[in-house]
Amino acid sequence: MNYRPERLLIEKPVAENRLVQRILAALQDVPVDWVDRLKDDPTSRNGKVLEIVKFQGRFIKPCPGTRFYTCCGYQILNLGVQCFLGCTYCILQAYFPNPNLRLFGNLEDMWQQLEEHLQSSPRRVHRIGTGEFTDSLLLDPLTRMTEDLVPFFAAQPNAVLELKTKTTQVDLLESLDHRGHTIVAWSLNPSSLIASEEAATATLEERLEAARRCQEWGYRLAFHFDPLLVYPDWQNGYSEVVDQLSSAVDPGDIAWISLGTLRFMPSLKPIIRQNHPRSTILEEEFIPGLDGKMRYFRDLRVEMYGYLSRMLRNWHKDLCIYLCMESNDIWRESLGFDPAECGGLSDILDGQALP
Amino acid sequence: MPTTEFGSIQFAEVDWNDAVCLITYGPLPDKLFLSIKAVGLLQIPLLQRKENGLLRIICGSRRLAVCRELGLQPLLCQILPDSLPLHTCLRMAIYDNLAHRRLNPVEKSLALTKMADHMDKSEVIEEFMSPLDLEPSVVLLERYEKLAQLEPFVLDALASGRLNERVAFALTPLEQTDRLALFQLFEELPFSVSVEEELVEMVVEIGRRQGIGPAEVINLREIRKVRAADTKPARQRAQDIRRHLQALRSPRLTARKERFAKEVRDLKLPAGVRLVPPPHFEGPRWNLECTFESGDELAARLRHLTKLADRRKFQRIMKSLC
Ligand code: SF4
Repeated sequence: MNYRPERLLIEKPVAENRLVQRILAALQDVPVDWVDRLKDDPTSRNGKVLEIVKFQGRFIKPCPGTRFYTCCGYQILNLGVQCFLGCTYCILQAYFPNPNLRLFGNLEDMWQQLEEHLQSSPRRVHRIGTGEFTDSLLLDPLTRMTEDLVPFFAAQPNAVLELKTKTTQVDLLESLDHRGHTIVAWSLNPSSLIASEEAATATLEERLEAARRCQEWGYRLAFHFDPLLVYPDWQNGYSEVVDQLSSAVDPGDIAWISLGTLRFMPSLKPIIRQNHPRSTILEEEFIPGLDGKMRYFRDLRVEMYGYLSRMLRNWHKDLCIYLCMESNDIWRESLGFDPAECGGLSDILDGQALP
Repeated sequence: MPTTEFGSIQFAEVDWNDAVCLITYGPLPDKLFLSIKAVGLLQIPLLQRKENGLLRIICGSRRLAVCRELGLQPLLCQILPDSLPLHTCLRMAIYDNLAHRRLNPVEKSLALTKMADHMDKSEVIEEFMSPLDLEPSVVLLERYEKLAQLEPFVLDALASGRLNERVAFALTPLEQTDRLALFQLFEELPFSVSVEEELVEMVVEIGRRQGIGPAEVINLREIRKVRAADTKPARQRAQDIRRHLQALRSPRLTARKERFAKEVRDLKLPAGVRLVPPPHFEGPRWNLECTFESGDELAARLRHLTKLADRRKFQRIMKSLC
């Protein structure tokens, strides 16, 4: 996955930043356009330009849960937006009409905000992820951000970093001093679905091999069966994934496994139809959820969660399995308990987070 | 205004097949006949002399057609020189029409499509979409451009208002047989615009699920049966078809609704009391509705309802959800 933009478009106020210098050094023969301020004009963008801008917003934010479904208390560290892996269901297609990858160059602001945030609530456990608006490791060979992030989190007594990816770009992690404060996570799906719905991502085997390597380097792992997708042979498909997972990694080092069925804002539907006319994911039966997002009908969600969690527990009964954005009734029916009975989902995951 | 000359023309001089500047679409209005018959032609048509000597109609195609039917020639017209660029003539045709009336969707489509042959899309959007009462957007422009390619009878329905443009937009990407199958259904039974849009989407998705085309979905035996049941009022048949398609699109939800209806029947709730599940059975919020006409009636119903929560059958209904 050798990423090489056709052009760099950089805002002058971040010209001296270390990230910009690093990227310029790595892409010496790529033409650069310098601008004072990038205009948001999606029609002129083609997805082949890497933009580096001064981010004006908050780098760290709580994950946007809703009051209708149980949220896990995750926090997002936003280092850039967009992704070129082209998953058919990807919400970024609706969030960001501009297909160019965009990095935030003013990392000094990011570090300052992150430090202030962690210091402002030192007793709280912070689970922080960078994979919300892009894939966490997509550009890591170029930005080498993990070389800064992993040691930073290693020094935080109350925080862990979760790197969520569908790539195999873990090489830089090998030599880093993580002290158990970085969790490397992969989203998993059956191979046939990866081929049809996540076409430019790493194969299942490649993801699991990368996970195995990280485990060897002492990292804890996480897996996200999210989005779980229904298709005619989904039971066998997901059984095979669990089988492959169980032969690839040691369950003792898995911090958590999440399950979440496909959900999407109604506005994403025409975009999926337009961008991925051959995708079959929209053909299932959906209902509008309490948060306005389209979801599978509840009975089907319960069936999928129940099936997956049984298989995972058969493999290792102590796995920490949680549902992403589901209501208590679905938790009870599929996992047999409601997180509130155990102090709440956030506390359960906090208990798993630190080494 | 470019130099024009006035002149009397013979209908044989007009190139009736040249539609490059015509954006008018629809039948000749009876009242135009009536008016021209009664008081003659009040507004002079505008034509352009072409290189081959024939005349191209720019403005007044309907007036000219009526005069031709009434045999009113020679006819006084305004003639533009052939040196005038086509896009200038087209622009005159569009603005002339805009000044007099609201264009129907087919005419809007023709105006935008024809102008887009001479200008950049962004210029067309900027100059013409607002005057045509359309939100200026490239997506909408592209939708209107595609309308012009629809079959003549679909365009007729669109121009006459029998078919809404939103529904036409939904029909345009379909194969012709599929589009016609849906179009015929909409011509036959009364659906609202939003229901027609919903039906197009549902039929396409059912077809994808079942590996058949939308036309085959419309032609399924159950649907044909409902359509043929002409002893029932058309509105009722339309509702039945919608219900039927919904059941095909959402089999799980439909099965669940049916099961719920049966369970509630078995509960034998008192008259005037209704148990309402959460919408789509999603989430924990149930409703119990009770209507009554007197205090005694309310008291009787409440007495009955206090025992409801302890009844096995009721608990089973609730348990099947949580
Ligand atoms: S890897 Fe993640 S961010 Fe990238 S396209 Fe797929 S879902 Fe979107």
